[in-house]
Amino acid sequence: MNTEDFPQLESVERIIEGFESYGYICSRKIATAVFLAFQLRKPILVEGPPGVGKTELAKTTSELLSLPLIRLQCYEGLDEAKALYEWKYGKQLLYTQVLKEKLGDLLQGAQGLAESVERLHKFGDIFYSEDFLEPRPLLKAMQQDKGAILLIDEVDKSDYEFESLLLEILSDYQVSIPEIGTVQARTSPMVFLTSNNTRDISDALKRRCLHLYIPFPSVELEERIVRSRVPDVDESLRHQLVQFVHSLRELDLKKTPAISETIDWARSLLLLHTEELDEELVRSTLNVLLKFEDDIESAESEVRTMLRSNTGDN
Amino acid sequence: MQTSLVNFIQVLRSHDVRISPAETLDAMDVADALGYSDRNQLRDGLAMTLAKTPHEEAVFMQCFDRYFSHKLADLSDSSQAEDAQPEAGETNADSQTADGESGEAAGDGESYEQDGSAGDNPLADAAGDSPELQQLLDSSLMQSLMNNDRNALSMAMSQAAAKVGLNQIEMFTQKGQFSRKILDELGEAHIRQAVIELERANSPALDELRRYRDMLREQVRDLVDREYLLHAEGRNQQFMDDILSKTRLNNIEHHYQQKVQALVQKMARKLAARYGRKRKTTRRGQLNMARTIRKGVATDGVLFNTYFRQVSRDKPQVLAVCDVSGSVAAYAKFLLMFLYAVQDVLPRVRSFAFSNHLGEVSGLFDEHPVERAVELVNWQYGGATDYGGSLEDFARLTMDDINTQTTVIILGDARNNRGEPRLDILQSIYQRAKQVIWLNPESRKAWGTGDSEMPRYQSACHFAAECNNLKQLERIIEQLLKSTR
Repeated sequence: MNTEDFPQLESVERIIEGFESYGYICSRKIATAVFLAFQLRKPILVEGPPGVGKTELAKTTSELLSLPLIRLQCYEGLDEAKALYEWKYGKQLLYTQVLKEKLGDLLQGAQGLAESVERLHKFGDIFYSEDFLEPRPLLKAMQQDKGAILLIDEVDKSDYEFESLLLEILSDYQVSIPEIGTVQARTSPMVFLTSNNTRDISDALKRRCLHLYIPFPSVELEERIVRSRVPDVDESLRHQLVQFVHSLRELDLKKTPAISETIDWARSLLLLHTEELDEELVRSTLNVLLKFEDDIESAESEVRTMLRSNTGDN
Repeated sequence: MQTSLVNFIQVLRSHDVRISPAETLDAMDVADALGYSDRNQLRDGLAMTLAKTPHEEAVFMQCFDRYFSHKLADLSDSSQAEDAQPEAGETNADSQTADGESGEAAGDGESYEQDGSAGDNPLADAAGDSPELQQLLDSSLMQSLMNNDRNALSMAMSQAAAKVGLNQIEMFTQKGQFSRKILDELGEAHIRQAVIELERANSPALDELRRYRDMLREQVRDLVDREYLLHAEGRNQQFMDDILSKTRLNNIEHHYQQKVQALVQKMARKLAARYGRKRKTTRRGQLNMARTIRKGVATDGVLFNTYFRQVSRDKPQVLAVCDVSGSVAAYAKFLLMFLYAVQDVLPRVRSFAFSNHLGEVSGLFDEHPVERAVELVNWQYGGATDYGGSLEDFARLTMDDINTQTTVIILGDARNNRGEPRLDILQSIYQRAKQVIWLNPESRKAWGTGDSEMPRYQSACHFAAECNNLKQLERIIEQLLKSTR
């Protein structure tokens, strides 16, 4: 990707503005990461608790640059046949059957075995050529003319072997296919890797990436996020609900509500025509924020005090 | 700025952040791309390439603030320094008045002598009398002091600091020595000389010059203090760790136990990260289409044999047998601590403790944190040692479970109080197990002396080693992890 082609990414300020126009409110740190990733052509490894907008970051970048987003969801057992490329075996088989008859015509008049083989050699490796290659996400990202946004989601769920497979792609933007050779990216894609920290990523992979940790946002930032995502919620309610979520995060919960939950909750409150949070309402909608029965139970007893302390803040 | 970035990375390394040369290059690129104007932006950018875990990021932030605080602050500091100057001037004046008559008299005398040449500045006046002093005043050091040019001064100071190798500072006792060296390098000796001369001449300029000298000294002292905090703290930690890991474990004083535990955790984390490959659990396996077709060529494209991607199953098991009698208990503690600290990598550790009889203590480790469990074990199984009886117990408990994936680690001094060693049991374990490792806290020379049965037991071990400090322990655990991978 050339720097001139994408004026959207020319400075950190412009990135923040650009993201904002697509409804993604980000901290300066995030914008700096995107800026650096673009300038230095390095992948970004995004870590953070679930639901803070790791995947969204890649999506928004693709919207901002109007480039295709190619997504690879990682899971245990993912291998190169699903991530990188696969030969079209069916087609190869079919073609061998069909072309068998043609062989006779081709070899007509050939003197002896040596000459026949020589004639055959002229055709090269037809069956192991690009025509029979089925590109999977990683290879596909390399083949885009204008570049692409490659999102390798939840890389911590994949196996160690898969990580090693990524190394070549991430540092040199190329893929080695034994039958063909090395395929260089036409335009190096911008790569986002996300991780939920279920296990440590190997040092080799980390070394090749910029490391971005997205924490839960501050109250102020989260309010802006809610405003951009759910614009119809009025200001005092927005403040209240964000405050409430923040005090929820301080409780000892199995799964802390993230930004995506805050947004969902804001939407549900909007649907219920809420103007102000009250205990009853919060209790009945807690299931939007909390995903475990235990969490809901332990939060319910705290609802009253949390609401009171928040209104006290105002 | 580049050298200062490299130095900063050195500092980070001394604080246990691992940074490779390639990352250093990345950091340079980042600094180029972002520029040095926005401090926070630069900090975030550098953090992205240099820190790789949230913990490292916290360390990074702390070091960044400490390291670049003075370098960048100096630029904005000049206004503050100017504020400070009049203040210093005031105290100076105060002291003069407090000095009483003699000071005043001297001041009077001066104004009499050199009335015409607008003598606000006694120093310049005095310099008129002495060419040497004039020379000193013209030196760049004095110029920057007198003009309050902080940039020039801090530049000169850091150059001098680099020349005397201030970043090598290790002990707080070296602070004075380094300050002296830097001052000499800056040419403070001339000022000192001039002060002495002025003193002798009882010149009015004395106070003024002294003030500059003290200012310079204070600056240098501050610089040394900061650098000490930055460099030596991390290094002292490393030094301490180094010493502790080489001390015999039963000599480590109680006071350091906490530190040693932390150190064990650290070593274990390192090993776990290195060997922390997820153990494969077998899946049914997918059809390996590529291989099947390639093999099918031989049978005219008919897929005669199918091939699956199979993943092998690997289930290493470690049995740790520890002597917990008085002489060896301290070592057992650390071995167990270590073994359980690498539990992520070696999930199947069973532990046994013995002195005159043997029992399995794995349960204690499941229920309690390691430190507590070790105490309980000592309490339950301490006493005089009987290796023969304990081996019998061990065989009865585990012989059926020992197979080619089992590693048996025995920790003990092999001092059997002249009892029956029951070597035959150890031999049969030796034949069944993948490996038998004997760790002996006594030094090799003492093996076989007195009631030690070590030479005989050694014959039925794949590997016997002396193990009495953390370094050796770490090496052995590493070997263990390597071999069970």
